[in-house]
Amino acid sequence: MSAPRPYNLIAELTYRCPLRCVYCSNPLGYRAVRDALDGAAWARVFGEAAELGAVHVGLTGGEPTLHPDLEAIVAGAARASLYSHLVTAGTTLDRDGLAALARAGLRSVQLSIQDADATASDEIAGTECFEAKLAFASSVRELGIPLTLNVVLHRHNLARVAEIIALAQRLGAARLELANAQYQGWALRNRTALLPTRAQLDAAAREVTRLRAEVRDVEILFVLPDYHRDRPKPCMGGWGRQSLVVAPDGRVLPCHGAAELPGLEFWRVPERSLAECWSDAPGMNAFRGEAWMPLPCRDCPERAVDFGGCRCQAFALTGDPAATDPACSLAPAHDVILRAREAAAEPATAFVYRGSQ
Amino acid sequence: MSDLEARLRAIGAERYHHRHPFNLRMHAGQLSREELQSWVANRYYYQTRIPLKDGLILAKSGDPAFRRDWIGRIHDHDGTPDRQGGLELWLALARAVGLDEQRVASLGDVLPGVRRACDAYVEFVESHDLLASVASSLTELFAGDIMGERIAAFEKHYPWVDADGLRYFRSRTVQAPADARYGLAFVVEHARTREDQDRCAAALERKCEILWGLLDAIEHAHAVPRFARAAQPRLDDPEPLVVLPERAVKLSGSAREMLALVDGKRAAIEIAAAVRGRHREVERVAGDVHDFLDEMVRLGVLERGIRS
Repeated sequence: MSAPRPYNLIAELTYRCPLRCVYCSNPLGYRAVRDALDGAAWARVFGEAAELGAVHVGLTGGEPTLHPDLEAIVAGAARASLYSHLVTAGTTLDRDGLAALARAGLRSVQLSIQDADATASDEIAGTECFEAKLAFASSVRELGIPLTLNVVLHRHNLARVAEIIALAQRLGAARLELANAQYQGWALRNRTALLPTRAQLDAAAREVTRLRAEVRDVEILFVLPDYHRDRPKPCMGGWGRQSLVVAPDGRVLPCHGAAELPGLEFWRVPERSLAECWSDAPGMNAFRGEAWMPLPCRDCPERAVDFGGCRCQAFALTGDPAATDPACSLAPAHDVILRAREAAAEPATAFVYRGSQ
Repeated sequence: MSDLEARLRAIGAERYHHRHPFNLRMHAGQLSREELQSWVANRYYYQTRIPLKDGLILAKSGDPAFRRDWIGRIHDHDGTPDRQGGLELWLALARAVGLDEQRVASLGDVLPGVRRACDAYVEFVESHDLLASVASSLTELFAGDIMGERIAAFEKHYPWVDADGLRYFRSRTVQAPADARYGLAFVVEHARTREDQDRCAAALERKCEILWGLLDAIEHAHAVPRFARAAQPRLDDPEPLVVLPERAVKLSGSAREMLALVDGKRAAIEIAAAVRGRHREVERVAGDVHDFLDEMVRLGVLERGIRS
C-alpha cells in the first residue's frame, strides 16, 4: 500500500513533566520510555518528515521544554520549513527562554491551563502552577507569538466555561480549545472521577454557543465527547492517515497511545528512515484504510467520517484493538459506555494522579 | 419623549454608522480620492434600493393617509417633472468627485459586500410587517446631523469636489428629519405592546448593522491585506497551502493566484483589478476576489492594514 501524506508531525520530545494531571494522555508506562533523540536527531526527523509532506510540527511531551536541546530542535524545524508549535504547561520556561525559541523560529504556542480557578486548576495538575501559567501566557503575548489556550473539560470544571472563556480573552489567546477529556490512559483510570453527565455537557454547550456570538477576539473550539455522542470520534483523522507521532524513544506511531496496543510492531528512527517507519511498519499498516474493519463498521456509510473511531479505546474497553469503538451506539460493546454514563451521575471518586501506582 | 423613542435614540447613538471608522475618516478629511470615489459609487447602489424598499412599505398599508405621506419618499428619490430626485442628485455628486456618471449608474463596480448589505435591507422590509419596516427606516432620525457634518467636512477637506455635488446632502438635511418625525410618530403610536416595541428596536438595530456592513465592505476593499503573523504561506508547494496554528488551509489554483498578489502594498481593490485584468472572461471575478480576501481574513490567513 502506498502510504498517505502525513501533514502533521507530532514530536513527543520527552515524557518527563512537572505536572501530574489526572487525565494525562501519555501512556501509563511512560517511565520506561527513555529520551533517545538529541537536537541533531530531531532535526534529521524533521527533514525527513518535510520530504514526506509534513508542514506542521507539534513539539509536545510530557513537557517539551525539559528537553535540553529545545532551541536546536526549534531551529531544525525552521530549517525544514515546518511550522513549529510548542505545546507546553508553561511552568518551566522563562521569558528569555521563550524569546530564544522565537528567535530560533518558533511559530505558535499552546498553553494548557486546567481551570479558570487557581485552586481547582492546581488540584487537577497535582501541583501549584496556576500563577506561573498566567505569567507564561503574558510572555507569549508580549513576544507577539500566537497563543492557543487548551483547557481539558470534565465534571469539575464544565460549569465554569464562561470564566474559562473570559480568562482566554484576558490572556489574549487567539484560540481556545475546550477539549472534553478523552478517556484513555490516565483519564480512563480516573473516569469515575472525571466523566460528566449529559446535562452538564449540554449546559456548557449552550453557554459556549451563547458566548461565541459575543466573543469576537477568541476562536472557541468545543466538541461533544464521544462518550455522550453515540458516534465515535475520528481519532487522529484516521490511523496512519494524516498525522504521525514520534515518541521520545524514536518510535514512530499513528497516535499517542498506540505503543500500548498488544501485538503491534512499530519501528524506530534513527534505526530506520522515517519514510520506512511511516509506510511499512506492520503496526502502522494494521489499521490503515478499511480492510481491518469488523461489522458494522465495514458497511457503515460513516466509516469515511470517523474512520472506525479509536483503536486504543476499543482495546482499553473490550480487550480487542480491532473491535468497533464502543463509543458507537452500533458497537456490540456499547453497553460499557452506557454504564459509564450512568456512573457519571454518582458522586465523583478520588483522583489518581499521573505517576501514582 | 416616550420610553420607546428614548430606546430607539439610544440604539442610534451607539450603532448608527456615524461612528464607523470609515465615516470618521471621511469627516476628518483622511480619505484618499479613490476611497471617496468608491464610497460615492457604492453608496449609489443603496440609493437605488430606497425607492424599492419604500414601494414595499406602501404595499403593506391599507391606510390612504399613510400612503399619501409615504409616497412622498419615492418622489423625493425618483424626482418629479419639476424637481430633481435624490438619485439624480447623487449622480451629480458622482460627477463632482470625478466619476463617470453612466458607469456609476450601471452598478457594475458595486462591491459584493455592499450589494449584500443593501439587498438585505430590501429583503428585511419584504419579510417584515409594516410596523417593523417603518421602524427600520428610523435611521433617518440620525441622518440630519450626519448630513450637516458631511457638508462641512466636504467643504473643508475635499475642496476638489465641485460644490454642485453637495446638493443631495443639503436636500436630505430637510427631508430626513421630516421623514423621521413621521416615521417615529407612526412607530410610537402603533408599537403598544412590549413585544412590538422589542420588534421595533430589533428592526432598527438590524438596519444599523446593514449600514455598518456597507461601510465595512468599502473600508475592506481599500485596506491592504497582508499575511497574518501566525500564517506561513507555502504558495510554491506542488499542493499550495497556508499553515496556521494547528491547521492548514489548502488552496485551489485561483486561491493561490490571488494570494500570490498579496504583497503588503496592493489594496484589495488593486488585487481585484489585477485578477480581473487576467480573467476578463469570468463574470464578476472582481467581486469574487473581495469575498475570497474577506474569507482569508476570517480564517486568520490575512489581516488588514490601512495604506500608509
